[in-house]
Amino acid sequence: MESKAGTTETRSNITASDGDQVAALESLQFTDEFHRLILAPPSDNATSLTALLELPASRALELLHSPASAKLIAASASSFEALKGNFLFPSNTTLIDQAARSSVFAGGVNNTNNKSNAPETTSNNATLNLEKAVKSEPAETESCQPLVSDPAVEKRNFKRKDREKKAKGSTKKSKTAANDSSDGPEKLPYVHVRARRGEATDSHSLAERARREKINARMKLLQELVPGCNKISGTALVLDEIINHVQSLQNQVEFLSMRLAAVNPRTDFNLNSIFTTESGSLPDSNFPSMVMPLIWPEVQVNGNKQQHQQQWQFDALQQPVWGREVCNNYITPENSLLSYDSSANSVAEVELFSSNGQWTTNKQRCMQIKLKMEL
Amino acid sequence: MHLPHSTLKQEFVKKWIMGLQRCKFSNKKMSIFERKKAIKLSADTAMASARKGLTCWSRALISNPDRPVPTTTRRASSACKKIVKRSRRIRRTAKCGAARKGQITRSIAQCLVRKRTQILKSLIPGGEFMNEVCLIEETLDYITSLRVQVDVMRSLASASARASEPHN
Repeated sequence: MESKAGTTETRSNITASDGDQVAALESLQFTDEFHRLILAPPSDNATSLTALLELPASRALELLHSPASAKLIAASASSFEALKGNFLFPSNTTLIDQAARSSVFAGGVNNTNNKSNAPETTSNNATLNLEKAVKSEPAETESCQPLVSDPAVEKRNFKRKDREKKAKGSTKKSKTAANDSSDGPEKLPYVHVRARRGEATDSHSLAERARREKINARMKLLQELVPGCNKISGTALVLDEIINHVQSLQNQVEFLSMRLAAVNPRTDFNLNSIFTTESGSLPDSNFPSMVMPLIWPEVQVNGNKQQHQQQWQFDALQQPVWGREVCNNYITPENSLLSYDSSANSVAEVELFSSNGQWTTNKQRCMQIKLKMEL
Repeated sequence: MHLPHSTLKQEFVKKWIMGLQRCKFSNKKMSIFERKKAIKLSADTAMASARKGLTCWSRALISNPDRPVPTTTRRASSACKKIVKRSRRIRRTAKCGAARKGQITRSIAQCLVRKRTQILKSLIPGGEFMNEVCLIEETLDYITSLRVQVDVMRSLASASARASEPHN
C-alpha cells in the first residue's frame, strides 16, 4: 500500500520496487483527469487573467524549461493514448476513488509513522531547491493536513502535484530535476511547484499558479519573438504590441498579394502558354522562369543521367550567387540555364503535358532541389 | 512545434506554387481583385497546410479561409482609458487602504488584459475557442508563419518586378 502511495515527493526515499504498478495506477488517474478535463472544461478564465499579473517570470521560465514539464506532457500524452481505449469512465472513477482512499490512508500512515523522515526529506528538498528554486522559503507541511481529508481528487488540474498532496498531505514541493532523476525508474514526471510562504496551498490555487506560470513563460517567448517587446513590462502593453505586430503582418500579406496580382498580368498568360503551347516566352517573366527550371530537370526522357547532370549544373551555378539575395537566385541561374538548352525545354513541355500524373511528383522533387539551394 | 524558419519556408513555397498554378491554370481571365483574392487564398492555405495540422489556427484557417480584412481596432484601448479615468476618480474619492488600491489597480489591469485578449482572439484564426495558454502558443506559431509568408511573397514580388523591368 505504501508503495502505491508513491505519488509523493518523497519518492526519492521510496524504492521503485512496485514501479510498474505505481506507473499504471498513476496513468489511470491521469486518464481520468483528462476525461474530467474534457467533460468539464475549466472556467477559470478570469482568475487566470488575474494570475497573469502576479508571478515572477523567472519561475515561469524555469517551469517551462525544466525537463519535468516536457516529460509530463510526453508522459501524459503517451499514457492517455495508451489507456484511452481500455478504460471507460465509470471504471475510472471507481478506480480513482479506491486509489484516493488507499493513498489517503497510506499518506496518513506515512505521516504518523514517518514524521521523523518528513523533516529530513524536506531539508533534502530544501538543499536541492537552493540551487534551483527562485525563492527558498519553506512551506508549512502542517498547513496542508486538511488536504489529506480531501478525497475529491482533481478538479481541473491534471498535474501530478495534486495527487501528491492528497496522498501525502504535504505541499512542500521542490522544483528540481534531481527529484525527477531519482524518479527515473518509474519515469513519471512531476511538476513541482513551490508553495510560497503565506500562499494558499489548496489544489485550486496551486493549479492556478501552475497555469499562470505556463502563461507567463509563453508570454516571455512571445516577447522575444516580437521585436521591441523586451523592454516593455506589463502584460497589457506587451499584448498591445503583439496585436499590433500581428495586424501589421496580416496587412503586409494583403498588400503583397495585391502587389503580386498587379505586378505582372503577363504572368498569367505566360504560365498558361507554357503549359499549353510549346513556345512559351521563356526568359520573360520570373514566374515561368521559376517554373521552367523546375520542369526542366524533371525530364525523364533522357534518363536519370541527364537529371543528375542538370542538378549538378544547378549546383555549380548556384555557388557563385550564393551570397546574393533569394530573388536574384530566381532569375539569373535559370535564365542562363534556359538559354543553355532550349531544345530540351520544348521537348520537356510536350512530354510533361502528356504525362500529367507523373508531373506533380517530379515537380515536387525538383522543387525540393531548387529550394534547398535557395533557401 | 516550432519549426526552423527555412524548412517552413520551403514547405510554404512548395505548396503555394502548386496552389497558384492550379488556380491560374483554371481561370485565365480574372480581374485584379479576384486574382489578389486567389493569391491570398492560396498563400494562406499553403501556409496553413505547411503546418500539417499541428496547430489549431492552421486547421481553422483551412476550414474557413475567408477572413475579414483586419481593421485597426483602437476602440478597446479608448474604452480602457475611460475605465482608468473612472477608477482614478473613485480612488480619489474613496478612502483607500493599501489593499483597496491594489485591488483597483489589479482590476484595471485585468480589464485591460481581458480586452486585449479579446482582440487577439479575433485576430488569430480560430482563436475564439481557445483558452489563454493555447492562445499564446498559437500566436507564437501564427506570427512565425506570417513572417515566412511575408518573406516569401516579398521576395517573389520583388523578383518579378525585377524580371519585368529589363523587358519593358
